Amino acid sequence: MADSLLSYITLAMILFSLGLLGVISRKNIFIIYMSIELMLNAINLIFVSVGRYYESIEPQVIAMVIIAIAAAEAAVFLSLIVVMYRRKKTLNSDIFTVLSQKDSNE
Amino acid sequence: MIDIVFVVLAFFAVSGGVGMILFAQPIYSALSLIMTILALAGIFALLSAPFLFMLQIILYAGAIITLLLFIIMFLNIQSDNLPEEPHKKSTIVVGAILLVPFNILILKAFYTLPNKPMHILGDNFGSISLFGTELFRGWLVPFELISILLLTALVGAVVLARKDK
Amino acid sequence: MSNFLLAWIVLIPFLSAFLLGVMYLFSIKIAKIPNIVFSVIGISAPFLSFFIGFSFFIQMIGNDEIFLYKAFRWLGVDGRDIDMGFMADKLSIFMVLFISFVGGLIHIYASGYMKEDKGYGKFFFYFNLFIASMLLLVLAHSPIIMFIGWEGVGVCSYFLISYYYEDSANVQAGNKAFIANRVGDFGFIVALITIFYYVGVNGFDYINLEANIENVSPEILTFIGITLFIGAVGKSAQIPLFVWLPDAMAGPTPVSALIHAATMVTAGVYMVARFHFLYDLIPNVGLYVAYIGAFSALFAAIIATKQTDIKKILAYSTMSQLGYMFIAVGLGGYSVGIFHVFTHAFFKALLFMGAGAVIVALHHEQNIFKMGGMKNKTKLVFFTMLIATLAITGIPPFAGFFSKDEILLTAFSSEQYLLWSIGIITAVLTAYYMFRMLFVVFFGKNYKENRTIHFVPKSMTMPLVVLAIGSILAGFIGIPEVLGGQNLVGEWLANWKHNSLHVTHNTELILMGTNILAALIGIFIAYKKFYMYDMKKVPEFTGMVWNKFYIDEIYNKLIVDSIKHLSVFISFKIDINIIDKVVMGLSRNFIRTGQYVSKMQNANTRFYAFTMIVGISAISTYLILVIR
Repeated sequence: MADSLLSYITLAMILFSLGLLGVISRKNIFIIYMSIELMLNAINLIFVSVGRYYESIEPQVIAMVIIAIAAAEAAVFLSLIVVMYRRKKTLNSDIFTVLSQKDSNE
Repeated sequence: MIDIVFVVLAFFAVSGGVGMILFAQPIYSALSLIMTILALAGIFALLSAPFLFMLQIILYAGAIITLLLFIIMFLNIQSDNLPEEPHKKSTIVVGAILLVPFNILILKAFYTLPNKPMHILGDNFGSISLFGTELFRGWLVPFELISILLLTALVGAVVLARKDK
Repeated sequence: MSNFLLAWIVLIPFLSAFLLGVMYLFSIKIAKIPNIVFSVIGISAPFLSFFIGFSFFIQMIGNDEIFLYKAFRWLGVDGRDIDMGFMADKLSIFMVLFISFVGGLIHIYASGYMKEDKGYGKFFFYFNLFIASMLLLVLAHSPIIMFIGWEGVGVCSYFLISYYYEDSANVQAGNKAFIANRVGDFGFIVALITIFYYVGVNGFDYINLEANIENVSPEILTFIGITLFIGAVGKSAQIPLFVWLPDAMAGPTPVSALIHAATMVTAGVYMVARFHFLYDLIPNVGLYVAYIGAFSALFAAIIATKQTDIKKILAYSTMSQLGYMFIAVGLGGYSVGIFHVFTHAFFKALLFMGAGAVIVALHHEQNIFKMGGMKNKTKLVFFTMLIATLAITGIPPFAGFFSKDEILLTAFSSEQYLLWSIGIITAVLTAYYMFRMLFVVFFGKNYKENRTIHFVPKSMTMPLVVLAIGSILAGFIGIPEVLGGQNLVGEWLANWKHNSLHVTHNTELILMGTNILAALIGIFIAYKKFYMYDMKKVPEFTGMVWNKFYIDEIYNKLIVDSIKHLSVFISFKIDINIIDKVVMGLSRNFIRTGQYVSKMQNANTRFYAFTMIVGISAISTYLILVIR
């Protein structure tokens, strides 16, 4: 089982789908963020396994870059959550619909 | 033997993911996520990526999730601050059904690849020295850009989270 | 070049009408123009046409010359061209002569009758336009050009009937005339199309049609014959399209005299005579035409016996005489029918104008039972009307005798004895109601002694005299051989004589005697009942005949009401419910869909993500199913 590329890919796709489901079904902003991170991790897994398949080190480098990006994103994302929580005192992501036409005068 | 390791790690990873999206409390979700990340790190190790295995634990589990946990606890979330999510389970089911064709498509694509053995490679494949050589040889520019990105994120985080006077 | 003069016969009245119209607009907007100007221009136009027509007439004496003038090509359709052209042969010149002459006289009459009307110039504009259209109709060299004139007289008739437009009843009468005409015109148009399709290959004028008509199958010919006749029925007020003629009396009396006595209503008869080459080939349709004419004649005569409005009596009498003309042309005696058109123009115009004079004299009273004793008050009018009444009843030597006698002779010698008997009965009735009118209006006693008689100007009475002379003399051009005459009309229109009469001279004389006897019987009955009629009690009439056999009411219920119900139904049920629902519903649903779709843009990011997943799922399904 550990010998075929397909099993790794299957695992990665399951994780990716879980992350995607988390994004669309949860309203808690933290959970959404964590789902995004999960998706990124699944992508990392795909990269690394493909790298092993083709015996190339480059996808691993890409995976590291992705981790670095995830870190940067974490910083900004979480500070944004803090700011929003101070304003609205709630973690409901549906409140943040400022871009829509009806609530743009809030 | 390797197979058993793989299956166990995979099991942990998937159950962590499932728990993450099902728990209502963010702390529990975060802890599930840690479980997933650690399992993934193990799988990286199985894939002849020792450096990435370490990076994952140090960076991801050690820094990013820690920061997340810190923020969760910092905000002092009570249960009434949590949003109500009445359609959580139904949306998950619908979404799962919707995602099936997508998965099948990707898997079908990968199915066409010929079968090659995926055992752990020797002779320093994925070690730090090889990794570093590759990083600074072909990927120097992205490396520098990452630094700038991190700096920007740092400044941005500080500016955003400042208390307005 | 001399043929170009032919066009002037029609052009002069058109130009004069145009000039009058412009002058009228000028006179009401800018500066008033005195009536005399309008009347001079208006009256000279038909007389000028008469003189030009007369010059052509002289050229045609003794030979069979046909004058053609093609003005311009109107429609060039791939070989089947239609030109605007004029054709003067013996028939059309004959019509031109009396149309323009009688028309001119009526113009003179109208200048007196309409003297105080403020639309004087407008009246003459319409009048000249009418003369122009009628002359165009008669001088057309092709059925299409004739149709232009046909429509033109119809529309002028509408204008002139609705002339006193302030009263909406008059306008309704004008509408009725136009609509009934239109029903007939539909038949005419269908006939034109059929003719054009089947026969007009080598050219669409009468000469070519006559040459090619034998190539068409009898069924098509029958169809054309019937549909053409439908047009004639509308224009000449026969059954069933006659309902407009009595209502048309709402127009001024000169209009009734000109249009509904002498000219427009005879257009149908002229048309059948023009198409003689067609009707010669389908004698069954001709018989049908003759029967319609006979029944219309009888029907109208019955109704006229109980009418009280003087103009309505004359209107029904016109319809009756037109029936006679159709009996003649239906049986192939085209020249006979046209002869009756000619004599009828004189005495009918005279009757109408005389009636108009009496109406004016009694301050626009039209009920004959409110008149009476006018014999001494308007001597000239009485005398001329007496002549005209004698003419119409067929007493020799007045005009109507010769023409009516020839019609009945045609019926008898074609062995159509039923038609002949209807003709005789109608002659009795004609004499009865005409003399009833004469006696009640001009004799009668116990009328109001102190009523004032309005003065009747010379411009109105002089034409009466001229027409009276005409009513006396007009018959003499058609004296049959049996009486020693040469039947000039018959000779002139020899090309239009279909059948020769197969009766002996003795039979002719006996028939003549029968006609005179019938007329005398009618006069006698009228004399008994109405001479010295006691005017004290104005009779009230009821009954079927008085109500014109309820034809108007029947038409109203059957046709007008059903169309009205249909339009109400369509406008309220279908239009509002179905069409509006669909159209408005379409737009409303469009808006609703738009609003619904716009809810998708709710800035809820998770919703966007969900939508994206739906999209990805769809694409993946497609790719899975399609790729290999």
